[in-house]
Amino acid sequence: MKTIAWLAGIGTLLAGTFYMIVSLNRWEWNRALFFGLIVVIAEVALATGLVLRRLARMEHKLRFDPQIAEILRETRPPSRDRFAWLRETTTGRTNVFITFVVAGGVIISGIAWVVDRIASKTSSPAGEERLVRQLAEISYPSGGLLLDDVTVLAQEVPGASDEQIRQLLRRGGYR
Amino acid sequence: MRIRKKVVFEVLLGIVGLAVGIVGVLALREATLSTHEKVGGRGTKLVVDADTKGGEEGQTLEEMVEAQLNTCRLEVSSDVVGELEALGDGRFRTTLEPTLDETNERQFRGCVEDWVIDHLKVDVVDLHSIPER
Repeated sequence: MKTIAWLAGIGTLLAGTFYMIVSLNRWEWNRALFFGLIVVIAEVALATGLVLRRLARMEHKLRFDPQIAEILRETRPPSRDRFAWLRETTTGRTNVFITFVVAGGVIISGIAWVVDRIASKTSSPAGEERLVRQLAEISYPSGGLLLDDVTVLAQEVPGASDEQIRQLLRRGGYR
Repeated sequence: MRIRKKVVFEVLLGIVGLAVGIVGVLALREATLSTHEKVGGRGTKLVVDADTKGGEEGQTLEEMVEAQLNTCRLEVSSDVVGELEALGDGRFRTTLEPTLDETNERQFRGCVEDWVIDHLKVDVVDLHSIPER
């Protein structure tokens, strides 16, 4: 059946090509177009057939053979138990867990250090200024709570009621 | 050694195929090229056999043939002269003037025998120039 289909396709292609050329030679353009269309259809069909045949061959090559798979399963070496140490008793000895704990601590400390460094860099000057203004309200006077003798005497002299002198003495804690 | 022979054979086959293709295309180009020339004679006589299948009921075979000839005369530098003469049994005769040269004859014959009008098949029985008296 396949052979008949292939022969029919090839025959159509050859006959269509032949009649197309004959029609062109006879100046029969509509006939030439029709046979050209037949040629294109046959060509596409044959090309599709060739591609499908190639795909079928590839599938046949890649077919799963259960017998070979069974042999592979039987001859497969036992897999290594990489976590056997988890089942070992730890009584009286320190095992590899210590290493994990220490290494984990180092890693976590490192992460904390990185977070701290990043946080210290994210404090903006504007935030600091705002904090300064808030703290200024509860700060001590710049000259301290106790007045020196000069300031006290200056407040007792005539003219100390002058506003400019008061302004100068204000930072000293005018009473 | 065998592989080398195979490669040489394939190369030769490719060269032959290429040459055949080029010659074929050139030959087809030559066959479909219009080369007009002045010819003598009193015109070209045309006799055709026509047949229709599944055509419209209101259209006669003569009308369809006439339409086909009028369409095809647009491709050449001659006109159909006089009435289309029905000879019976689907055969018709007419004359074209001036005489068709060789290229126009081929072109006109190709057009008349081509699928121009649906449901109509025309075969050229005779197409020759009428000699001077």
